[in-house]
Amino acid sequence: MMRKIWSLIKTDFNTTFGLSSIGYSIKNKKNRWQLILFGIAMLTLIPSYVFMVGSLSSMYDIYAQIGQKSMFLLSGFLSAQILVFIFGLLYVMSKYYFSNDLAQLVPLPIKPSYIIGSKFATLMISEYLTSLPIILPFIIIYGSKNGEGPLYWIYSLFLILFLPVAPLVLASIVVMFFMKYTNIGARKDLIRTISAVFFIILMIYVQMKIQTLAQKSIVQGSDFLVSLIKDSNLLVKRLGVSFPPAQWAALTLANNLSISGATNLIIFIGVAIISFLLMIFLSEYLFFDGLIGNIEVSATKGRGKKIDTSELSRETKPYLALAKKELIMLFKTPIYLINAIGGVIMFPIILVMTNSMGGDESLSAIIEVMGVESGYITLGCIGFVTALGMINCVGCTTFSREGKCFWIQRTLPIRVEDQIIGRVLSSLGVQGLGIIALLVSSIFIVKLDIVSIVLIIILGLLGSIPMTQIGMIIDILRPMLNWDNPQKAMKQNLNVLISLGAGTLYLGGLVLLVINIIDKFYISFIYGLLALIFILSALVLFKVLKILISKQFQLLE
Amino acid sequence: MLKLRNISKTYGRAQVKAVDNVNLDIRPGEIFGFLGPNGAGKTTTIKMIVGLLKPDEGVITIDGVNVWEEPLKAKSMISYVPDNPEIYDRLKGIEYLNFIADMYGVSKDDRRKKLDYYLELFNIKDAVGDIIASYSHGMKQKLVLTSALLNDPKLFILDEPMVGLDPKSAFNLKEIMRKMCDEGRIVFFSTHVLEVAERLCDRIAIINKGKIIAMGTMEELRSHAEERESLEKIFLELTE
Repeated sequence: MMRKIWSLIKTDFNTTFGLSSIGYSIKNKKNRWQLILFGIAMLTLIPSYVFMVGSLSSMYDIYAQIGQKSMFLLSGFLSAQILVFIFGLLYVMSKYYFSNDLAQLVPLPIKPSYIIGSKFATLMISEYLTSLPIILPFIIIYGSKNGEGPLYWIYSLFLILFLPVAPLVLASIVVMFFMKYTNIGARKDLIRTISAVFFIILMIYVQMKIQTLAQKSIVQGSDFLVSLIKDSNLLVKRLGVSFPPAQWAALTLANNLSISGATNLIIFIGVAIISFLLMIFLSEYLFFDGLIGNIEVSATKGRGKKIDTSELSRETKPYLALAKKELIMLFKTPIYLINAIGGVIMFPIILVMTNSMGGDESLSAIIEVMGVESGYITLGCIGFVTALGMINCVGCTTFSREGKCFWIQRTLPIRVEDQIIGRVLSSLGVQGLGIIALLVSSIFIVKLDIVSIVLIIILGLLGSIPMTQIGMIIDILRPMLNWDNPQKAMKQNLNVLISLGAGTLYLGGLVLLVINIIDKFYISFIYGLLALIFILSALVLFKVLKILISKQFQLLE
Repeated sequence: MLKLRNISKTYGRAQVKAVDNVNLDIRPGEIFGFLGPNGAGKTTTIKMIVGLLKPDEGVITIDGVNVWEEPLKAKSMISYVPDNPEIYDRLKGIEYLNFIADMYGVSKDDRRKKLDYYLELFNIKDAVGDIIASYSHGMKQKLVLTSALLNDPKLFILDEPMVGLDPKSAFNLKEIMRKMCDEGRIVFFSTHVLEVAERLCDRIAIINKGKIIAMGTMEELRSHAEERESLEKIFLELTE
């Protein structure tokens, strides 16, 4: 039995992270050059990260001033675990239910729990990539500023090791129930995707509701200040209720010298192990039920409505046909739908929710009180839409998503210009949905006049063009074509991360520029300047892309 | 006219030539069979002709157009059917066909005529409204064949085209290949099935370890072999 599990885990590791193919790549000279380039690109992410860590350090000082240092740790564990959970939902969905190896695994004489167990193990590794960059700065800042001893660091090691377990188990169970009970009807892909998007929004809503309620209950108590001084872990105990494991982790480290630290550590690890076993147990009953319907594809086999070739066969310009094909693929592949389209719709809604729920400090109140010029809000919205142009991942995965079908693009007589325009258009199509989501949800916070709306649409779309192109440049330099699970082309694709870094630099530069000149010029001049910059950079990037695509289409093997 | 001049390709660091100094001249109106054992370099050669793999050395031209210098012009003359067609499985059959036709710029009338004819011929007319993920291997193969025939290619390249086709479709495909030759086009295909090559091809080349070891009509091949019987015997003798 152990041999089976071990072999499953090994194979899954190898296929997921492409260990065998990495070895092969390193031996190949041309690929080695690509690896170096990739390393340089990764470096572009460092400035943003350094900035983030810097601001964390000042966050620690604030908590230290009010005598609630442990709250700093809680923030770290809470954000790491919530992020693991949210990513977990997407990872679990694609890894358990949409990966191609299932067709080979399911017929083998192995229990569902083995399959789930081995897939869980690989997901843990992916989740460390999510959790480590977040939790490490928190632990290191707290530990070094507080001058903690060896026990602190030993406890930290255990906490980091077990950190993703509980949220990932929770995500697994939620997804398994979800898949079992949505396994209905011919359009189940669509039903599932839409309900998944709603579910994630709901989860975030509930999380924030709990947070605000907890905050209010603390402040409302008349003896608040007294108890704040008496109990240095007060905030952690009150605010940690939204996700208890994060609370246990924070208390472990904050009290590492007393017995309560050890107890909390044991609870943290114990709950992780027990919840894992519970999930394995549940998988025996849940996994196959959600799965079976997923492998079958509904086909009418001629019993459906007859296709009239004359009706459907109309000519379309190549770039439009390409954009249409891209959009159909984005909408019909659940993983792409959740990540790209779900993303651009969810982000604006979350933005609005965080601001309309914060009570007195909501954005709308600030805007009214301070009488912020409507131009600033318009600029903010334009920046947000432009950022979505990178977050939607359409540009930076456009070639990777072709996968094994890339031969089609390379053997067809498609002009490079059409390749670029078509793919940019597909990204703009997705952006259109994001703009609608932003405008509709912003109604709840601010009143935008028609001029602002037009400006947001035009400048937002213009700004999305260079953002998409930056992603495309990175993707064509190292397209990830050899995948068996669309998730790999999307969220497990490092091109996404690199593009986020490069896009942040571009957009960050523009934001700095606008901040520096906003008092010195008329706002309409700034709009004009932004439009000019967007258009110029789009043209330059177009030229760069043209050269790179022509070259790479010939060189790739 | 398809011309390959001194084509070579080496993979990785191994320095083993997958294709070694291959020369071919294929005339319009010819069905050319490309034979060889597994790993002999058939697919590599085909990929270099269609623009998927850049040769290390040599020149490939179609009607005087260099495939790697004027790729757009060359590709609009070529249709390619790979051995294991991976196509966009989230599209409907008809969406895929329209996409390909748009890329080749096939006119509306032409498109309708061809679709009516080939979809009927391959018996997939009723399936093109379904998404490709629901197709069997053979149906996918037939869809790719249909898409490859939409643009009236001057050069029709097929890698192992008979694999996965039912007998009737295989027969139809052979008829199509014959007809294309009569219209003065070039049909170039690789195969393991020696009977097909023997009956269908005007000329045959046998490739082994990257080198062409024999080329000519069936008669010419027979005259060179010791045992002047079937292509199978000649093949086994040459590739030993």
